This record gives sequence, structure tokens and C-alpha cells, in this order.
Amino acid sequence: MRVNIVMPQMGESITEGTLIKWHKKKGEFVKKDEIIYEIATDKVDTEIPSPEDGVLSEIKVFEQETVVVGTVVAVIETNGSSSIDSKTETTVEDINREKAEPASTTQVGGELIDVPMPKMGESVMDGTIIKWHKQAGDKVSRDEILFEISTDKVDTEVPSPVDGILETLLFKENENVNVGIAVAKIRTTTGLVKEKIALKEDQEQEKKISKQITNHKSPITNSQQTTANNKQQTTNNFYSPLVLNIARIEGISINELEMIEGSGIEGRVTKKDVLTYLQNKRSGKLFTQVFSSDNIESMQSAKEVKSISTQQIEFIAMDTTRQRIMQHMIYSRDTSVHVTAVMEVDMSKIHNFVEKNRDGFANEGIKLTYLPFISFAVIKALKEFPLMNSSIEGKNILTKKFINLGIAVAVEPNGLIVPNIKNSEEKNIRGLAKAIADIGTRARTKKLVPEDVTNGTFSITNYGVFGSLFGTPIINQPEVGILGVGAVTKKPVVIDVNGSDAIVIRPMMYLSLSHDHRLIDGMLGGKFLKSVKETLENFDTNIV
Amino acid sequence: MKKSFDVTVLGGGPGGYVAAIRSAQLGFKTVLIDKENLGGICLNWGCIPTKALLKSAEVYDMMKNHSADYGIKAEGISFDFEKIIKRSRDISGRITKNVEMLVKKNGIERVRGFGKLVSKNEIEIFDNGGKSFDSVSTEKIIIATGARPKVFPTIPVDRKNIITSTEAMNLQKQPKDLIVIGAGAIGVEFAYFYSVLGTKVTIIEMLDNLLPIEDKEVSETLEKSFKKRGIEIYTKTKVENVVVKDDAVIVNVEKDGKKIELKAEKVLSAIGVTGNVEGFGLEELGIEIESGHIKVNKENYQTNVPNIFAVGDVIGAPWLAHVASAEAIHCVEKIKGLHVSSIDYGTIPGCTYCVPQVASVGMTEKKAKEVGREIKIGKFPFMASGKSFAAGERDGFVKLIFDAKYGELLGAHIIGPEATELISEITLAKSMEATYETIVKTVHAHPTLAESIMEAAANAYGESIHI
Repeated sequence: MRVNIVMPQMGESITEGTLIKWHKKKGEFVKKDEIIYEIATDKVDTEIPSPEDGVLSEIKVFEQETVVVGTVVAVIETNGSSSIDSKTETTVEDINREKAEPASTTQVGGELIDVPMPKMGESVMDGTIIKWHKQAGDKVSRDEILFEISTDKVDTEVPSPVDGILETLLFKENENVNVGIAVAKIRTTTGLVKEKIALKEDQEQEKKISKQITNHKSPITNSQQTTANNKQQTTNNFYSPLVLNIARIEGISINELEMIEGSGIEGRVTKKDVLTYLQNKRSGKLFTQVFSSDNIESMQSAKEVKSISTQQIEFIAMDTTRQRIMQHMIYSRDTSVHVTAVMEVDMSKIHNFVEKNRDGFANEGIKLTYLPFISFAVIKALKEFPLMNSSIEGKNILTKKFINLGIAVAVEPNGLIVPNIKNSEEKNIRGLAKAIADIGTRARTKKLVPEDVTNGTFSITNYGVFGSLFGTPIINQPEVGILGVGAVTKKPVVIDVNGSDAIVIRPMMYLSLSHDHRLIDGMLGGKFLKSVKETLENFDTNIV
Repeated sequence: MKKSFDVTVLGGGPGGYVAAIRSAQLGFKTVLIDKENLGGICLNWGCIPTKALLKSAEVYDMMKNHSADYGIKAEGISFDFEKIIKRSRDISGRITKNVEMLVKKNGIERVRGFGKLVSKNEIEIFDNGGKSFDSVSTEKIIIATGARPKVFPTIPVDRKNIITSTEAMNLQKQPKDLIVIGAGAIGVEFAYFYSVLGTKVTIIEMLDNLLPIEDKEVSETLEKSFKKRGIEIYTKTKVENVVVKDDAVIVNVEKDGKKIELKAEKVLSAIGVTGNVEGFGLEELGIEIESGHIKVNKENYQTNVPNIFAVGDVIGAPWLAHVASAEAIHCVEKIKGLHVSSIDYGTIPGCTYCVPQVASVGMTEKKAKEVGREIKIGKFPFMASGKSFAAGERDGFVKLIFDAKYGELLGAHIIGPEATELISEITLAKSMEATYETIVKTVHAHPTLAESIMEAAANAYGESIHI
């Protein structure tokens, strides 16, 4: 029996996915639940297991191809497969092969293939080449890793689409390249690219591929290059074909070109300007750098420091995760009116409970910390003050009836992600403890699914684990509040004992609530914090 | 009361009158001073009248010698030398009047007289008799006084037997024989003109080839064509002296160590030009002059006196009308404070209007190699062009020189039909920093001579379709 393997839907808003790697080859036997391929989507990367035991009889989508959800990417022949079926298949394939044969023969020994920057997701417009695994002149086999890229969403290795000789590297390491732009040229030794067409049956796909082929129909000669492609990379500036040629050959990115002051007609960058720039760059008067092209601010600051000697500074290209965090932070700051309120909480009850029951929970496989209790208190407060569990849509307030509680997780070495616990209002302390541990682990091991990071309603950030007493957290958009959890420290506090003041030692904790003043005023913020504080201080440990 | 102006332009040639018009366009109160008709050498004694003469020669040559090639019977074809000269003078006269009108239309004060700088802001104007009749005060001065044929003591020009281009285009009688000294554009054009009309022409050049600044292949093609016409060519030949004897001129030359005596009715000295820098007060103001030309900063054409500028032939090579005009516009725009990019002297086209025509822009093959460029050369002969085949003009070629590394268009050399018109496409391509690909991928109309440019570019990369 033939079983179609389709591009899975990885999230509500995800309409397509890029097949990044085949773990199995055509003709290979696969077991049920064995990983057959990896995909990258807008939100996350994931591995797709086989639904059945069988033979991987057909691969319809190639690595780095992006297809819409539901597209058949492969066919598995399960044990009960009729031989007629498979024969028919082979025949069709053979015919297609034959069809392709003449074309591939003419191509043998020399078609120049462009290797484009792969599209790693719908909203991913560019990628940074982190490392070239091969150099110009190297022999490469199909599927051998050519280079590594880092994009907005994922980092990945890009394999060679064909067997051949890597003829030209069009971009250097750490250069940012738009999706679809050729980054290397490979002179083929076989007609594999043509074979691709042969395998395509449905017309739409054929169209898609022929488009790819057109892109691959690369210049007949070495010098005839990707000026047009380069042009796509520009914003509005005109660069002469010669300037683009020089930039390409010398590895000057469009971003760099935009930094050069033009002396030509209408302020255009001329050959002379770009050569002068190149000379300065080589003599160490300038440095190369990679930054987001739409970030005018950084371009200006780059201009300002143009003249600083390279010995005094080190430039490190931000990885995409960092860039994303940067963008989110700026976006949040520019969106919400942040105000932060702080309250001090006596954690005695919870502290005592945790100390007493830690081992018992550990036996159940639960790591007991303060966080599940704080989460519990927050969820309770959110139910009490639903405005804190909402978002702003234009002039409307969207109050959520579910509580997807986000927990900020630090990811080594320099990352941060906020997965959320779905319907956390339905969970008890144990459930919350498990859920927190689960998303934390998956965040650190990059096993999150897109669902995990979407539709959060309120977040908690626990900087207390690093010893900070209190902070002023930045709201995770589009939420309207975030609770910062400080370190629990023992302090002398004044309490009322039978009507008289007494100094005692208590495990104390600061909670800071940053809320969006557009929607939440000080009164509500205070009430909310007060509610959390009271739940924690008067915690009924019997409910655990 | 003395009139005062923002800008005073001295000299009404293609540098001066263009400077004046642009200046007026930009709102400056402008005065233009020239004792002659406007248009300078170009319109009066250069570009335009010689083109008129050359057209007459071309038409005559075509009718007399090539009618049969086109299936046309033409008998008794002859010419009237005086009328050819008159036509040229008439055209010159008309076109200079048009310039006078342009100047008037732009509200420019036109002063006919000889202007002399008496201070850095004052110009006194003299009549032909040397009498001062007016003076103007001015904020800025643009000197565009041009150049004149160079005179060497060994070639004592008397303007009768030993003449310059000025006389050569206005002779009353066609000379029986003519020796042209100097094989630059002027020398070559007159050699062609008189040779077609039946004068026995000898041309002497000190350097290796005719049109020595052009690409060697072009020069050699021209030499072949000239020899076929019966023009005697002495290259690598040094003129020792020139003497007038019994209404004939004897030119003593030395070639390959041998002394030769050449004799002709007239000798045309066409050995270059020198700037008109004397007699109008430059020295007194301390304006720097370097080997016969005013020294300027080529970013804005300013002299060492800040309010005085100079453009055109008077500042030196390449002594071309189109360069003078470009410099004039640039200079005025800079005075206005506009942000304009400097003139790229590497992208100035040069044209010679003999048959076959010669035009070029950028580096020759030799020059490109000298400066250490690795190059790719593309050539396309007009013989392979359908259009030139149909037109019966099959001599010549297009030669393009590209930088091998970046694909930069370094130079273009055309010899053949309409070469001087064809060069403009390549000049634009070069100034826009087009690469070979840009030219090849630009669809050229068929059938045209211009297709040969596309083919030559393709040829440089082994992709030419028609050869």
C-alpha cells in the first residue's frame, strides 16, 4: 500500500515548511516512528517520523525546497503494497528519466549551477553565511555540506544540490545575503538538475522547479555574474553594473555599498569610490561588518566609527537569535508604556513547604521550586483581574478567557525565549511544576514547537535565580504585564506578634510587575501584586 | 556708470558661450565678451566648417567613384572648389548667428570687443584699433579664450604658402599638391579632403602612425585606406625645416636616418595648438600659466586667483569643443554651489571625420596593457554587419577593451561608417559604468551598425553570434 507523507501543519498560522534534511534515502526501509526528514518552519524546526513501516519509494521534495502544508513530500510503500502499483511507479519514473536523458546529456560536464541562499521560512528574508565548509575549486558531492547559515529563525547547514566542482564563492563568511540570491556556483559533473524535472509530476511543482532551473541557468561564462541578483538586494540605490561586479568579486556587501559616499552623478557610488573603499578596507582603515539593512541607526553609527582602527575593537556579527531578541525588545519598548511596581513577599510558608517536600517531589520526578507556587498565585490573580490577561488590538481590549502563562527561559550562551504553559489555569502545583520543567528543558534543547511560543497571555521572568533582587522587566508583546521574580533571601523583618512589633528572620522576595500603562493603571497593578503577595504569604499547602 | 555683473565670460567659443548661457540659466547677471563672431574656432574655423568641407568631399567621392557600385550611372561628375569653400563659410556664418541669438535669448549682455583684465574684478574692453571703449566690473570671471595653431620656428607659417587649418579651409584655389605636417585629427581630415578633390597629398608624422593617439589597429587600418587613395604617408619622420622657394615649399625631412626633400605648392602645419594666454592681463594678475596654458583646479576650474576661472582649450589638453562645453557647465554649476561630480577625463570621446571615420573613447589596447590591466578584447568587423553590407560600406571594425577582472569597459575604438555617431552609445555605457553584460544584453535594433557594438562586446567573451 502506498502511504503519502505530507508536509505537516506545525502551527495554526504556518502555511509552509522547508525540507532541510532527508534522513533516509530513496529505497531505504523505514520503521514506524523513525525520523525520515527534518523541516524548518516559520516558528520552529522539527523532525518528522514515519507513520508506517515500509520502503521510502519516492522523494518528491528536495532539501531546501519550501512547500505548502499538505504537499506530498514522499511516498512509503508499506508491506502490503501491491507489486503492480510499484511497477507502475517505476515505469512512470523510467519514462520521465528517459525524457530527461537528452537534456542531461547535453548538460554533462559543465552546467554552472547557482546555489541560492535557501528560504528558511516564510518571513525569513535573508541569512548570514557563518562558515564555508568548501572552498572554490573543491570537489563537492551532492548532499555534502557546502556552508552553514544563520537566519532569523534557525541556523542550518546547506548541502550541495549537485555533484560538481565548487567554482566560485560569491559571498564571504559573515556576509548577509537575501533569500534566493546565489551564494556560490557549482560546475556540475552530472545532469542531476535536469533529473529533478523528470521526477516532477504535477504541473504546479514543475512550474516551480523550472523557475528554479531558470535561476540555475547561470551565466555561460565565469564573468557573467549575478548583477541582477545583487540588485535585488539593494533598497533604492542605483549601482552601476561595474560597481556591482567589483562588489561581488571583492566580497563587498550591499550594506557596505550603502555606506560608501558616492561621488558620481546624483551621488552615485562610482567605480572609483568603491575601489577607494576597497583599498581603505584592505589597508585596515575600515572594517567589514554585518548588520540589518533596515537598521538605519546602526548604519549611521557604523559611519561614525568608520575611522577607528581595527585594533581597538572587535566586531562580532550578532547571531540571529540575538538579533531577534534585540528587535523584540525594541519593539516592546516602542509599543508599551512600561511602568514597574514592586512588592515584598514573605515566602516563609512556601519556603518551609519546599524545604520539607523537596525530596518527596524529587522521587516523583518533580523538581520543586518556588516558581510553580508563584505561577499558581499569578494565575489566581489573573482570574481575579482579567484585564491583566489581555492584549490591546487597536482601540479594543482583547481579554483572554484562557491563561497561557509564559515562563522566560535563558538559553546558553546568549539567548532568551518565552514558551508558555497552555491553559495553565487548569493545572495544580504539580501540573505547573511539571509544565515549567518541560518547557524549560525543551527550550534549552531546542525542542520547542511553534505552538509553545505563540498565544501567551502573561509572562513571568525569574531573574532571582541569578541573585537579582528586583528588576524592571520588558513586556512580552502583545501581553500587557510581566512579573519579575527576585531572589528569595533571608532578612530581618518587623512583624506583628500579638499586637507588638518583633524583628524576625524571614525568607523575603521582591516581586516587580511591569505593566502596560496604556491599559493597566497603578491601582490595578497594585491590586494584582497584592493578590499575588497574599496568595503566596497565606499559601494553603494542603492543596498541593 | 560702469556696469557690474555676477559673471563675466571672456571668449565666445564652445567654452565661453556655453558658460554664459548656463550662468544666465542659473540666475547670474552675465556678460560675454568676444571681439569675433560667437562660436569660437569650433564654429568659425574648426569643427563645423571642416565638416561642411568633408561632406562635399564625401559626396563627390561617392558620386564619382562609387555610383556604379550602387547601380547608378553618373557621368561628368565634377566639382567647383570655390563653391565648396563658400558653402562651408556660409554654414559657419549662419550657425554663429544662431549662437548670437541664443545668447541674446538668455538675457546675456554681449560685448563685441577685446576684453582685458585690469584687476581681478575689472575688465576693460578695447576695439580693433586697440582703443578702450568700455569696462565692466564683475564678481567672477571665466576665461575661455581658447587656443590657436602652434607655430614652430622650423615651420615658418606665412599663411600663404605655409598655412594653418584656418587658411586651409578658406583657400581661393585648390592646390595642386599639399604636404600636411602632423597626422592628428586636423591633419588627417585635410589630407582626406584635398586628396579626394585630386590634390596630391603627402602627410608627415613624427610618431609611429597616423592618428597616433588612437589604437594602433585603427591607425593601421586608416593608413591602408589612405594609401589606397594615393596619399603618401611618412610616419616616424622628423621635419628638419620648411622653406619657401619660387612659390613652392620645400620640406626637408629625416626618416630612418635618411634625409628626404619633399616639395609641394602648399604646406599645412597641423602640429597642435597652444593656449591664448597672452595680452589680456593674466600675467599682471599673477595667474599661473603652465607651458602655454592656464593652470586650474579641475574640480571647479578655479585659477590661483579665487574669483577667476578658466575652461576649454586655454587650460590645455584634450583641446576638444565638447570638453570645453562640459567644463564650462561644470565650472558655472560649481560657482553656483551645486553638487556636481567632476568630469571624467577618461570618458571623453574623440572623433575624426575623414573616410573611414574614426572614433574612440577610453584606453587603447597599448595603454591598457601599459597600466597593467589584464584585458579582454572584442572585435567585430563591419564586413559581418548586415547593415554595412547593404550600405556598401564594409571597411572597418568595432574594437572594445574590457578589464578581465571586473568586466569594466576600458576603451572603445571604431573605424568605419558613422563611427563618430556610434561612439556615443559606448560613451554613455562607459560613463554609466556598464559592463560587457550590459551591452550584450541590451537589445540592439536590426539592421543597424550599432549591432556591431553588441557583437564586439559579445566577442570579447567568445559569445559573438555573427562571427
